[in-house]
Amino acid sequence: MAGVKPAGSWTHAYWRMVAWDFADLRLYLPVLSAVLVLQGAGLALGVGLLFGTVPRTAAVFLVTGAPVMNLITAGLIFEPQLVAEQRTRGSYEFLQSLPVPRSAAALAWYTVALVTALPAVALTLLTGVARYHLDLTVTPMVVPAMLLTCLTGVLLGLAVAHGVTAPMVAMLLSTTLIFVMTGFSPVALPADQLPGWLASVNQWLPFGPMATIVRGALVSGVASEVPRSYLVVTAWAAGSALVVAWAQGHRR
Amino acid sequence: MDGEGLFRADSVTKVYPNGIRANDGISLHVAPGEVYGLLGPNGAGKTTLVKQVIGLLKPTSGRITLGSRDLVADPAAARQLCSYLPQAQVPIDSFRAREAIVLCGRVRGGGRVEVERQADELVEALDLGQWRDKRGIGLSGGVKRLVGFAMVTVCPGKLVILDEPTNDVDPLRRRLLWEQVRRLGDRGVAVLLVTHNVLEAEKAVDRLAVIDDGRLIAEGTPSAMKAHDRGHLRLQLMIAPGRDAPALPPFAQRSNLVGRNLMTVIAQQDAAIGISWAEEVIAGGAAEEYALSATSLEDAYIELTGHNSGNGGDADPGDIGG
Repeated sequence: MAGVKPAGSWTHAYWRMVAWDFADLRLYLPVLSAVLVLQGAGLALGVGLLFGTVPRTAAVFLVTGAPVMNLITAGLIFEPQLVAEQRTRGSYEFLQSLPVPRSAAALAWYTVALVTALPAVALTLLTGVARYHLDLTVTPMVVPAMLLTCLTGVLLGLAVAHGVTAPMVAMLLSTTLIFVMTGFSPVALPADQLPGWLASVNQWLPFGPMATIVRGALVSGVASEVPRSYLVVTAWAAGSALVVAWAQGHRR
Repeated sequence: MDGEGLFRADSVTKVYPNGIRANDGISLHVAPGEVYGLLGPNGAGKTTLVKQVIGLLKPTSGRITLGSRDLVADPAAARQLCSYLPQAQVPIDSFRAREAIVLCGRVRGGGRVEVERQADELVEALDLGQWRDKRGIGLSGGVKRLVGFAMVTVCPGKLVILDEPTNDVDPLRRRLLWEQVRRLGDRGVAVLLVTHNVLEAEKAVDRLAVIDDGRLIAEGTPSAMKAHDRGHLRLQLMIAPGRDAPALPPFAQRSNLVGRNLMTVIAQQDAAIGISWAEEVIAGGAAEEYALSATSLEDAYIELTGHNSGNGGDADPGDIGG
């Protein structure tokens, strides 16, 4: 009799969903990668064009902050927009009905986001270093720093995507978060250039601490409070994961 | 009745937070190998019921089980045991048709060789060969629907839920799809078929239920549902454009108007005078043609619900007598 097979192990489900996501996005991933490169390298080069001469400290913040934006944007923008489109077109329920553990599907999407973001991160760094003649002192901590930053961006995106059921609201929220990250967070600029109250708020928001842990692994002597930043980012990742678990487990 | 693979809904009620009672105490069962139709007009509560089966919604009260598994308490088991083709198109824009079928079978836990063999069989059986390696973005709605059907049946769960599977599908391939639905039953899969297309359901299902306004109002085999109309015929008139429907003769037991299509039910012994009446109407220019045929499940359905099925007409049904 058909229909009695178990859907396989968690690992099986994870790899099947990685294959599914890559196939599903194959028409768009090259565009998404290009957008990320334009975002990162564009920011690094654009500021140089605007001001002509950029002080070394500002250049360091700019060049080490732009890749952080790459790592966050992949998860924070693309997933809510994809899910919003699925909800609008009615295909969300088909995907939710597949016999795949939610954690396997989330990790599969994290893998896709990472693979999409990392080439942009590399190109952004290379472009910035070449433009501003910087010497990076990359440590092995760059691996956990970038993995955790991308993971937190993905989990924030999943929390918005699945926690906010109105597609337009989800898209607006994710776009707002990107604006907050770009304009009101110490990602590509030092925190002391922000108003005091905004700098204080940013100590508890995820974006500044994400930039701190990545920057701390790329250049020495610039980032401070790195262990605390790891704690803040990890807390945001854990909190977002809880929201995702609740949103996907909660049935109306 | 009980046993492994038996699907059962017991007194399922769903009341949304806004107070709308979408399902009201629905009880039904589907045995392994059985094709069970869920009929009803738009908004009757059919899709709400299947979303509760697959774990996308939670019943306000009632039980939903498949064999010994409680699908309400364990939605992960529901996803594992049930395959679901929703009313909306499956998201396959970037996929090639066969690739989507194979990948879905693999996601459902099928082995590569077996899934590929089944996928090739389905592509052939549904006459999808010319689109086999075409991307979804370039496929018509009907072909996408067939690919979606193949995706959910290539490695089926114990219960396959098909929500309006023939939407947009051309008549020839509809027949092929219904053959595959029957084949699922032959393989021991329970099939829950949601449709408002009564004529098609009549040929495809073993048993069916009619849902209206959230309640199950009739259940049985297609023959049993039609038993009420035994000894009756359907007399159908195509009203001429711009003309009003004619006054009904006294022997018309009930009637219904969809667009320009006037359907009446008459007793068998009134066939001769019915034909005479129809020819008079045509001669008077009020109608263009008529047809006399056996009553169908649709006639029983109309009587039960007061609604027409989705088989024809472009206007809201209007009951004009009976």
